[in-house]
Amino acid sequence: MSDLALPTLQTEAKRERSAIGSLRIVQTASILVVALVIVSPLFMLVIASLKDDRFQILADMGSFRAFWVSNPTLSNFAEVSNLSGELAFGRYLLNSLFILACTVGAGLIVNSMAGFVLAWGSLRGRAVVLSLVIALYVIPQESIIMPLVIMVSRAGMTDTFAVQIVPWIASPLYIFLFYQFFAQLPKELFEAAQIDGASVFRIYRSIFLPLSLPALATVSILMGIESWNQYLWPILVTQTDYARPIAVAIATFFGQDSIYWDRAMAASVLMMIPILALYLAFQRWFVSSFIGSAVKG
Amino acid sequence: MTLQQPALAATAVAARPARRRDQSRLFQEVGMLAPAVILLTIFLVVPFLLSFWTAMTNQPLVPRPTPVRFIGFTNFLRIFKDDLFWTSLWNVSRFTFWILPVQCGLAFATALLLHQKLPFRNFFRSLFFLPAITSMVVVCVIWGTLFQYPTGPLNQVIGFLSGGHIQPIDWLGDPDWAMFSIVLLSAWQAYGFQMIVYLAGLQGIPDELYDAARIDGANALQRFWHVTMPGLRPTHVFVLVITTIQAFKLYTQVAILTQGGPKSSTETVVHYMVRSGFEEQKLGYASAVSVILFLIVLVIALLQRQLLRRFDV
Repeated sequence: MSDLALPTLQTEAKRERSAIGSLRIVQTASILVVALVIVSPLFMLVIASLKDDRFQILADMGSFRAFWVSNPTLSNFAEVSNLSGELAFGRYLLNSLFILACTVGAGLIVNSMAGFVLAWGSLRGRAVVLSLVIALYVIPQESIIMPLVIMVSRAGMTDTFAVQIVPWIASPLYIFLFYQFFAQLPKELFEAAQIDGASVFRIYRSIFLPLSLPALATVSILMGIESWNQYLWPILVTQTDYARPIAVAIATFFGQDSIYWDRAMAASVLMMIPILALYLAFQRWFVSSFIGSAVKG
Repeated sequence: MTLQQPALAATAVAARPARRRDQSRLFQEVGMLAPAVILLTIFLVVPFLLSFWTAMTNQPLVPRPTPVRFIGFTNFLRIFKDDLFWTSLWNVSRFTFWILPVQCGLAFATALLLHQKLPFRNFFRSLFFLPAITSMVVVCVIWGTLFQYPTGPLNQVIGFLSGGHIQPIDWLGDPDWAMFSIVLLSAWQAYGFQMIVYLAGLQGIPDELYDAARIDGANALQRFWHVTMPGLRPTHVFVLVITTIQAFKLYTQVAILTQGGPKSSTETVVHYMVRSGFEEQKLGYASAVSVILFLIVLVIALLQRQLLRRFDV
């Protein structure tokens, strides 16, 4: 029986292997097509930002010259990265960076502490708080924005950095992500430290926080992208250039009648760099399984 | 009874410092939880409750000398009689109808490909995630140029591929095309997230299931239908629900590229809400729209729970 079955299984495997070989070519080809579709718009952006002549950019747009620059120049970047002047995107860039750093920094501390207490604390109402936090996740930012604008403008917070940072520090999603991460760590970690007489805060700070690098990285990336790309909220709460983030500045600039395509492209590339750096720095820990576990939650 | 007494006394003595420790532990835990709870209360719960209250008043954006009046469900009745609201709801439904297959399909297909042992797959994974970290404003700058009529890159590519048979399309200026153009750029921007979620889902399916299916003589297609697809059920539900909720909140791309036009063909619920609140200054009315938006999202989220429960995960 086994003598008979073995050869058939082998030929089967051989046939499957050659089928896999041709399949692999099809797969690689499709990946390259997808890559072309995904990357060429970004590539075009970078190329256009290196062209000084905005009329040339428009003329090139209709041909494959959109993907080629004969004499690249950084003059657009020099112009838009100024800190003062008409097209001073440097200022907005710094504003956005400051807002991002404060939001993510405070967000990591506040949300991880809450997640930790919800996972390992001894408070009696823990389960209730946890389910309340999860329930709050359903409320979309868009549907609280009207009253929130009124609240912050009554409080005189319009046009400040604080108004763009403080409301977005605590978030049900990130509390839940930290809770989930801490809860799956072994119970012995907590118990051993507790027997040694360490306080809850100490256990959190010196044992659990250093272990939570993947969670910190994931939340940093998600919060960073979210803060960096905020648009609706800052247009409602900033009226002057003082604390205006770069997204709003680019959109305002883009909405004008005579579009400086070259400058708009350069400002857009500038806007991509910091968040790209953040992503590349933390991507290693941006474990997909982490988001995967959120799927089931 | 008498035997237990000394034991009880002993615990009472030992319990005193323990209780103090318990108290300090409780104090610390409350302190660690407090910042999140306070912030969530002020910036999420209070405005959320206020939106229900504001929705039932005639509150204007700029305070007027006349007091704000409670007007019950008048705003809601007005909204239901407003054609523009129904148009906006119809438009986000159209948007959802297109974005689900385009974005989720692309994400699913790419994830399946990247799950294979292809060369450079980690590189591709990061590459495909690039648009997802790109700000929607920047995406609008890029696609605004791609959509140029009649000689923009997209029209040129289509003309080239069709040998000149397809006439240039006025992507953002033609009411029949504008929403679909918004779909294209939105799918391009956001699909990287879905792809990552699908990759996670695929990794969650145990290899043993595939081996078992192979031993049973299942071919690649059969393995896909009977192992991969059932294994991805919760992932599918999650991705579809998240995409639908996101679709109903469509705002930024519309605000920047079309302002709801042409002929209200890209007017969305959130854009309509912001317009009535801040341009027409009818805050109560806009809050009522935001309450309706919340109810829509709530229904979709509850639907997700029901679906997941039925799939028994």
